[in-house]
Amino acid sequence: MIKTVFDIADAVRSGTLSAREAVLESLGKIKELNPQINAFVEVWPEEALKRAEEIDARRAKGEPLGPLAGVPVGIKDNILYKGHKATCCSKMLENYVAPYNSTVVEKLLAADAVIVGRTNMDEFAMGSSNQTSVYGPAHNPVDFDRVPGGSSGGSAAAVASGMVPAALGTDTGGSVRQPAAFCGIVGVKPGYGRISRYGVVAFSSGADQVGVLTGDVKSAARMLEVLCGRDTNDSTSLEEPVPAFSQQFTSDIQGLKVGMPKGFLDDLDEEIKEKILAAADKLKSMGAQLVDVDVPHAKYSAPCYYIITSAEASSNLARFDGIRYGYNDKNAKDLNEQYELDRAPFGLEVKKRIIIGSTALRAENYKACYLQAVKVRELIKRDFEEAFKKVDVILTPTSPTTAFTLGAHKDNPMAVYLADLYTCQGNIGGLAGISVPCGNDKQGLPVGLQFYGPILQEEKILNAAYHFEKAL
Amino acid sequence: MILEKDNAATCARMAKMRLTPQEEALYEEQMKELFAWVEQLARVDTSTVEETAAARAAYLRPDTPVTDEALSNALVGQFSAEQDHCVKVKKVL
Repeated sequence: MIKTVFDIADAVRSGTLSAREAVLESLGKIKELNPQINAFVEVWPEEALKRAEEIDARRAKGEPLGPLAGVPVGIKDNILYKGHKATCCSKMLENYVAPYNSTVVEKLLAADAVIVGRTNMDEFAMGSSNQTSVYGPAHNPVDFDRVPGGSSGGSAAAVASGMVPAALGTDTGGSVRQPAAFCGIVGVKPGYGRISRYGVVAFSSGADQVGVLTGDVKSAARMLEVLCGRDTNDSTSLEEPVPAFSQQFTSDIQGLKVGMPKGFLDDLDEEIKEKILAAADKLKSMGAQLVDVDVPHAKYSAPCYYIITSAEASSNLARFDGIRYGYNDKNAKDLNEQYELDRAPFGLEVKKRIIIGSTALRAENYKACYLQAVKVRELIKRDFEEAFKKVDVILTPTSPTTAFTLGAHKDNPMAVYLADLYTCQGNIGGLAGISVPCGNDKQGLPVGLQFYGPILQEEKILNAAYHFEKAL
Repeated sequence: MILEKDNAATCARMAKMRLTPQEEALYEEQMKELFAWVEQLARVDTSTVEETAAARAAYLRPDTPVTDEALSNALVGQFSAEQDHCVKVKKVL
């Protein structure tokens, strides 16, 4: 059965598979599995089939098709697709309909992909388990009693269960890579600024980045080729040209320098440590050189991340006052009450992050808290810049644990925050990061291996991941 | 780092949010734990980092005004009501 982005797109372009068949298969899988997994919160079957038929008609006329021709894709519920709801899985935006396309959606459509639905997520992308969604939690296809990770849990579950070969997520502290690790698939976050954030609901503007989830590295490379690039609607998007990532894999990784950060495996679950060390040995046997590197400030990434992103979130979410869009309460008696009632639908985690951010930005705390976090971030960036002078990529676990059970950590949010340790470094540092599966633990749960690379050199992490994936 | 006794309630008010007494109590507890953890950042020597480092790192476009009538019309046209090329919203009070 054809499964990958590459396989489907090439088959549809050559005529050996119709877009309609590809989309029908996807819709069939969604109908079969989504009631148990809850990966999709809304599906658009008639529209998807109509689009597939248009693609097939164009191919029949001999017209060239795009690089994602006929590929069914899911988009996270915080990515705007004109005329369709984009709710961020929040009651705040439960009836919000996107008035325009995000740039990433425009690019998917231009590439002839078929968007089949919007995927489940943690509310406003704040979370690591997809349990705060107003639509209910998504479930891990490997074990339905476990979380798929978050916040892009729906996208990860959709790909891992075979509903779609690719889905878009957003990654602010690991929200593409960690669910990829939990579900046993590939998740990539390119360097900050590589993919336009125009039309993506903002959580933390200095850390948010659209990422892709796929079943294999080559497909992720093709998705990145399509999605990356300068956008005048996003002033933080990078000017540099986008390489043909899927054409740049080397024949081997002889001489690839893989950085092993000092102390990264301390305090790690023994089974995961074993898998990571085995992966490092595997890379070495393939000709890579393992090089010790030191990124001494990286251990501060998680506290930095929570202060900076919460501060930015408190600002970004101030726009949700119910006046122009969003939940609007009819019972207010004055303006203050209007705002308070309109903002009541925020969930517990969202409210908490706003309070964290507001606390960090209070006049008496700003210098010691927010400004200090920004400065420490600069030190973390410098550490990685120094490390990348010696190595091509850096190896870490994606997550300190495998997928936990639904409801675990409910009374211990700090445990969830600490789980972002390895992934949030990438967002704090602006790095490119990819998670690939590296085996299962004794309970059969997937373990994720992460490669980091410098910004504007995504081909390095893609290449390392591609060869590791082939060898596994 | 100052964490006042009623920090959660005060910050919620500043952010135009209303908390239940249970939420206030929960957040006060969780804020204490979180900011105790964040306190480790205060011990990091950042004397080599200039305050404008973050600003310098930002990709900024030239500060030249751009007029795009088509975009302006498209943005206003997204709303159900307009007057004099301004968006009309629900009456608040």
